[in-house]
Amino acid sequence: MTRNLKITIAILAVAVIIGLLSLRGLSKRIERLQENPSSEEQARRELLAPKVSTSTDVLSRAKIYWAAGADSTTPTEVELALSADPVKRARQVIDTLVSEAPSPEQRTLPEDTTLLGFYLLPDGTAVADFSDSLSSETPSGILSERLAVDSLVETLKGNLPAAHRLKILIHGQEVDTLAGHVDLTGFFDLNPPAAAPAAAEPVVAPASPALALPKTPASPGGHSSR
Amino acid sequence: MIVINPAHGGTDTGARGENGLTEKEQVLILARMLRSDLERNGFHAIMTRNDDSNPSYEDRSAVANAYRDAIYITLHVASTGKFGTVRAYSYQIATPPGAVEDETVSATRVPAGLVPWERAQQSHLDASKRLADLLQSQFVIKFSGSPQSSSQFAVRDLRSVNAPAVAIEVSSVAVPDPNSLLALGSPLSLAVVRSLQLFRPAAPAVPPPAGGQP
Repeated sequence: MTRNLKITIAILAVAVIIGLLSLRGLSKRIERLQENPSSEEQARRELLAPKVSTSTDVLSRAKIYWAAGADSTTPTEVELALSADPVKRARQVIDTLVSEAPSPEQRTLPEDTTLLGFYLLPDGTAVADFSDSLSSETPSGILSERLAVDSLVETLKGNLPAAHRLKILIHGQEVDTLAGHVDLTGFFDLNPPAAAPAAAEPVVAPASPALALPKTPASPGGHSSR
Repeated sequence: MIVINPAHGGTDTGARGENGLTEKEQVLILARMLRSDLERNGFHAIMTRNDDSNPSYEDRSAVANAYRDAIYITLHVASTGKFGTVRAYSYQIATPPGAVEDETVSATRVPAGLVPWERAQQSHLDASKRLADLLQSQFVIKFSGSPQSSSQFAVRDLRSVNAPAVAIEVSSVAVPDPNSLLALGSPLSLAVVRSLQLFRPAAPAVPPPAGGQP
């Protein structure tokens, strides 16, 4: 065996060893990615809508409405740290509705949905601004779109007594329909002014009321949170 | 005049099944079957589209609004729900913010006797609900697993229709065999025909109070 041949074989052997080592590293990275699937929209949600927590958070039993079959929603009591600020509180319950569905069958809003903004106007109108995913990923149909809206409306009704009606926006715009069927140009009734229910029952007695509207609105246009 | 609206069309496919079924195609077939059965039973019926076009919501409503005695039926096929179940919907309007101010504004802008286009369905909510109830009472008999009662919801198709109007949604495009969905067409048409035969657009007369003047 010539000297040159020995050198070539040695170089090839080293290259094979390096290749095997990097292949092992690559397969480990693929495994890690499979364990944590994160779509672009989910990553954006984490960036835009970090978990909402405030100094007034009180551990409460919030009723979140998820699907109970194809036609209706049913409340599930979830222990949540809820803010006294109604806008932050709305964000907390909507985030839970989107991300904590007990099972895929009970999910009413697409997993990738992001609440981009929430506003509460002085006249009791709540405005919820969602990412495009709500429109593009909700299954098309009156049945599925109704379930999506019902779960949102019922969840806000029970946890946001100050809100009288709800307006749903998609990416800051008024749209004709949610996914081709449900009319989003109007408003959905929440709590009529005279029949506002009590707020979610606190688990631990709070130092201050569990839900109290600020005496003066944050801005002339009402409360908002982005 | 029965106005049948096969929803969607053109680039708007509506619900899509993994089997390739599209809502726009299925509702067109169901609508043709329904029109044929209605005419066989003595009704006059027209369709808002009879091809793969996609008229606007307003154009579809305008077809019904051109008649004094129209009844509007919009057909949909869902992407969810137990296969073979059918649901009837009538429109529901939420109170707009500043409703009093809005009424004042509209009263000054809309001449007396005319109906604001965006609220055309408002004066027919009761009749539409009664028709949806009649339909659902037929569906629950013919389609096992269908809900007992109709629903009221903000279905976009119905908003600008100045006549009794209902949406009918069949579940669903998520079926392996396309023919099984079309097999629902005949019982669906029969249920609609029967409901329309029973339906009276005007509200039932309220009996005079006891002891009152006849």
